[in-house]
Amino acid sequence: MTNSWIDIKNTDCCLIIGSNAAEHHPICFKWVMKAKEERGATIIHVDPKFSRTSARSDFHVPLRSGTDIAFMGGMIHYILSNNKYFHEYVNDYTNASFIVNSRYSFNNGLFSGYNPRTKLYNKADWQFETDANGRVKRDPTFRHPNCVINVLKRHYSRYTLQKVSDITGVTRENLLKVYEAFSATGRRDKAGTILYALGWTQHTVGVQNIRTSGIVQLLLGNAGVAGGGVNALRGEPNVQGTTDHAILYNVLPGYLPVPRANMQTLEEYNKLSTPVSNEPESVNWWQNRPKYTVSLLKAYFGNNARSDNDFGYAWLPKADPVKSESEGDYSYMYLYEKIMRGEIKGGSIWATNPANTLPNTNKNREALSKLEFLYISEIHHNETTDFWHGPGMDPKKVKTEVFLFPSCHRAEKEGSISSSGRHILWHFKAVNPKGDSKPMGQIMIDIMKEVIRLYKKEGGAFPEPIVNLNWYRSYDAELIAKRCNGWFTSGAKKGKQLNGFTEFAADGSTASLNWLYAGTFTDEENRMKRMSLEQTPLQKAVGIYPKYAWVWPMNRWILYNRASVDKNGQPWDPSRTIIRWTGSEWEGDVPDGPAPPLGMQGGKNPFIMLKDGLGQLFGSGLVDGPLPEHYEPVETPVRNHGFSGQLTNPCAKILTGDTDKIAQPNDPRYPIVLTTYSLTEHWCGGSETRNVPSLLEAEPQLYVEMSHELAREKGIANGDAVIVESIRGRVEAVAMVTVRITPFKIQGKTVHLVGMPFAFGWTKPGIGDSTNRLTLWAGDPNTSIPEYKACCVNIRKADSVTELSDTPVQEGPGH
Amino acid sequence: MKLTRRELLAVAGAGAGAVALGGLGIHHLITESYSKKLKIRGAKEVISICPFCSVSCHFIAHVKGGKVVSTEGDPGYPISQGALCAKGATMLSMINSDHRLVKPKYRAPFSDRWEEKSWSWMIEKLARRIKDTRDKHFVTTNAEGKRVNRLDTLFHAGSSQMSNEEASVVVQGMRALGIVNIDHQARI
Amino acid sequence: MSKAFFIDTSRCTACRGCQVACKEWQGFPANFTKQLGWGSHQNPPDLNCYNYKVVRFSEHKINNRVLWNFFPDQCRHCLEPPCKAAADHYVKNAVVIDEPTGAVVFTERTKKIPNEGFLSMKEYCPYNIPRRNPETGVINKCDLCFERIEAGHIPMCVKTCPTGAMNFGERGAMLSLARSRLATVKAEFPDASLLDEDSVRIIYLITLKREEYHDLASLKNPVLTRSIG
Repeated sequence: MTNSWIDIKNTDCCLIIGSNAAEHHPICFKWVMKAKEERGATIIHVDPKFSRTSARSDFHVPLRSGTDIAFMGGMIHYILSNNKYFHEYVNDYTNASFIVNSRYSFNNGLFSGYNPRTKLYNKADWQFETDANGRVKRDPTFRHPNCVINVLKRHYSRYTLQKVSDITGVTRENLLKVYEAFSATGRRDKAGTILYALGWTQHTVGVQNIRTSGIVQLLLGNAGVAGGGVNALRGEPNVQGTTDHAILYNVLPGYLPVPRANMQTLEEYNKLSTPVSNEPESVNWWQNRPKYTVSLLKAYFGNNARSDNDFGYAWLPKADPVKSESEGDYSYMYLYEKIMRGEIKGGSIWATNPANTLPNTNKNREALSKLEFLYISEIHHNETTDFWHGPGMDPKKVKTEVFLFPSCHRAEKEGSISSSGRHILWHFKAVNPKGDSKPMGQIMIDIMKEVIRLYKKEGGAFPEPIVNLNWYRSYDAELIAKRCNGWFTSGAKKGKQLNGFTEFAADGSTASLNWLYAGTFTDEENRMKRMSLEQTPLQKAVGIYPKYAWVWPMNRWILYNRASVDKNGQPWDPSRTIIRWTGSEWEGDVPDGPAPPLGMQGGKNPFIMLKDGLGQLFGSGLVDGPLPEHYEPVETPVRNHGFSGQLTNPCAKILTGDTDKIAQPNDPRYPIVLTTYSLTEHWCGGSETRNVPSLLEAEPQLYVEMSHELAREKGIANGDAVIVESIRGRVEAVAMVTVRITPFKIQGKTVHLVGMPFAFGWTKPGIGDSTNRLTLWAGDPNTSIPEYKACCVNIRKADSVTELSDTPVQEGPGH
Repeated sequence: MKLTRRELLAVAGAGAGAVALGGLGIHHLITESYSKKLKIRGAKEVISICPFCSVSCHFIAHVKGGKVVSTEGDPGYPISQGALCAKGATMLSMINSDHRLVKPKYRAPFSDRWEEKSWSWMIEKLARRIKDTRDKHFVTTNAEGKRVNRLDTLFHAGSSQMSNEEASVVVQGMRALGIVNIDHQARI
Repeated sequence: MSKAFFIDTSRCTACRGCQVACKEWQGFPANFTKQLGWGSHQNPPDLNCYNYKVVRFSEHKINNRVLWNFFPDQCRHCLEPPCKAAADHYVKNAVVIDEPTGAVVFTERTKKIPNEGFLSMKEYCPYNIPRRNPETGVINKCDLCFERIEAGHIPMCVKTCPTGAMNFGERGAMLSLARSRLATVKAEFPDASLLDEDSVRIIYLITLKREEYHDLASLKNPVLTRSIG
């Protein structure tokens, strides 16, 4: 989230799209309701299904899953053609005036530079024109045909109400209702926020969905302001923190790019990963990256990381460079391919349940049986721990050796977690771990301790990174938290903790496991434990609690807050002040850097993490285009969407092996759109919540929500057992026939959509098994996130069922 | 004899005084029926955080004799202010669940059952598997002759259920082994 | 000495924190539930001896607008509780009123009430609240968390509610909150009303006509003829 949970209360219009906030982040609705009741905010829910979120919104707009870019593109067109944008903000704080390279083009759904062999773009044509000093050429009059705002206007001129309505299934009346309500915030005294979640990311155009909101918020002057922002409601308990700490293939902690084979030395790494800006007003924060990288190496390898050995850079593994759709991608998507091909022999699956939650589950379950060994850390038995005796498996034929470690509950250990609002919060230990269970951190420490011992004793392949590791005796959350914060390794302050990330150096005199966490744990205190509700009146008005724990970066509650003020440092809307320039300093939230406002001597641009410091209406950062463009989901009921001849994302990652069948567009065998989702009472794959009796009581069995119209067509009654089938698999579910799902009118024809949760699995017998046996391995080209939100199925009444039971069934594994 | 509607109305009509019998007698009856004291009285309060969505609602664990006896929302956390959803409301059951895994278990190749093992047995055996795999498959250069120093044959699929400190040590350990196939349920 | 709830269904998101928190506080086991033959999010389907609180869901499509109503159902703690009158006829003071709060409390003595008496209690309850535990014979329902209140805490369901749907306080304060909230809500929902606010301690605000909720939402429905299930 760019903003905070509490900040939602400051909005005048809350657009919830790609999220079912009331069901999946129930407590945040406290702040949505506050905005509605106290500010008179309009709450809009755009989603295929009418949900508990819709019930509390001013209006719900159903849209066909996978058509968000068309919907949002229509809004961009509406804002630009009706001159609804916030001129001063767009002029001063975005790249609207930048002149795009004359070679840039967009034809029939493809941007210039596309290579069909690699499914990648050469982005040379997407760059801006520069002058002799390397500065970007601009036209502040917006007359140049290739200045960004004109490129934007041309691109979205195709997104007319009629076309958008035809493909999304949203009526023109509803489109206008949303566009008018939201674009009314494009004024200095109004703010609108966009809340999204996995409903946006889990598409083959996932990141471009989010880009549309970035563009809309920049045009309306809603980025960086209280009550505004682009707010990812992150879906998991510490997904923010565990991605900050990089349980990811593509980054190291603190979002440092993972070293690749084309970065053989630290110097090469720094050169390729550190942006250079020629704009004097740009802070270009990532120019500091080398400091963070060296400090990470110092933290990883301690005194063994020295300037004369490149700080141990050679000890970090180097991934292959990204050369095509799949090369250089080490995500789940290709992991299971590699396991199936025998290229991966073993691995660890910790506190996640891919045998239930990854797409095309039948294949993934089979893949696990091809491993030599698997070590799992879990709190309950689930479909992954017990895959070897799951449906269709004969244990006597499954070789995989499984080590299952019991991990403990959060209340049985201490440590910190980071909320969606980047708020780093300490949790205390209430009781000892149950039985012989242990914290996962302890388990990892113990495993590595033994591996280190073996390498020290026996030697082996490339032992350096292992024997030189700055490791731990036992799991001590405070000690690790101190190391995350960072400390001085030499000089006058040797041994002292850092106070913040401005103190990092690239010469090895500082160390830290994650630069973003610098400031969490100083010599004075563990700030993550702070619980003071003290505020200044200004902070109170907007809901900032600077002394309650600590927010990254630098305890800044609202990112890009320099965009909340005009060039003189005065808030666009004084009633919603986050920061204000007093004439000599900033007050309010922690500003994005101490520099004076842009209009003053030494002033800086607001978007400090971007190379040029300005909001990118047009940008070359993404794999699949400088501007979002509508493409259909990889499985679609539509043959031609009417925006171009390019039906699906040309860069989408798609698996097409024998086990990964994909239905053709508009395949008559699978005419119904399936979207999958979570629900309040269960969490993710459900292996914890299904084992809590009162939650299973509240949501006991796998269901499929469908319209009355579809149920009538198929002769299905509410409560019937049905079979849902895709080209990949079949699933039994109970029909939930509801007015909350309505058929869509797409290009004049009726398209049905059904929705299913994915929290049920066979290890709890009688409740249903993985919905993901239906979903497909097609991923976003930027993130490899699978397209869980849209695939094609058919549905029929079941003659008999085996996965669902009418009566209580004896407990599964573990009981 | 079954109560008739007329009789009921007669009793009810006598007014609240007739229904709500005042005095000591009532308290005696109530304490008789609720002989157990308020279960959280005298308990130690420890603050933890709900392990589900990322609103990170804080909850208070009431602890007596080393056991969590009740949980409820923490009103001091400014975002939830004591509120919890259905999931957050079940921390007590979740922590004390008898269904939880409490012993290390091992499943041998081609076996149809779990065996309980000691921690040291598990760690030693696993560390040996990891080292053998690493020694056998470690790659120092790729097809183009570039130095890569990595282990392609092991993977880590990780979790959002970890604390920051746990994630940090897991990533440090995995990278030290040379593992590049690292992914997260964030994609799910 | 008079406590009350104000339950503002216009703020309810059916997160069911209240339903589950109540169960956890009481230490109740789960019932076996299923979707087969049922097909609804309302689970368990009804109040029972292990669920003092159940969020009821009712959905409608009126003038092409979808409406989904949530109703966290529970005992209303009537000012003059007919259940007590009925119970007293069989076992004096099996049902008592907790003086400090006004809570209508079913004691362990309800065990001694014969089945016929239990049926009377159910029949005369305008909201079909009393339930009997088949194993212990105790008749039970919401006790207003009177013990928590007396120890200075607020009732568990109220504490758990994120959106201000559940409110707790002195009856006078709750009534005025309910009335002022009704005035606000009526601007958007002209059919909004309070349910039986003069005779109960648990005062509901609903936004649509009573018929759009479950049939026992309010006293005005013909409850006495309803069969006991």
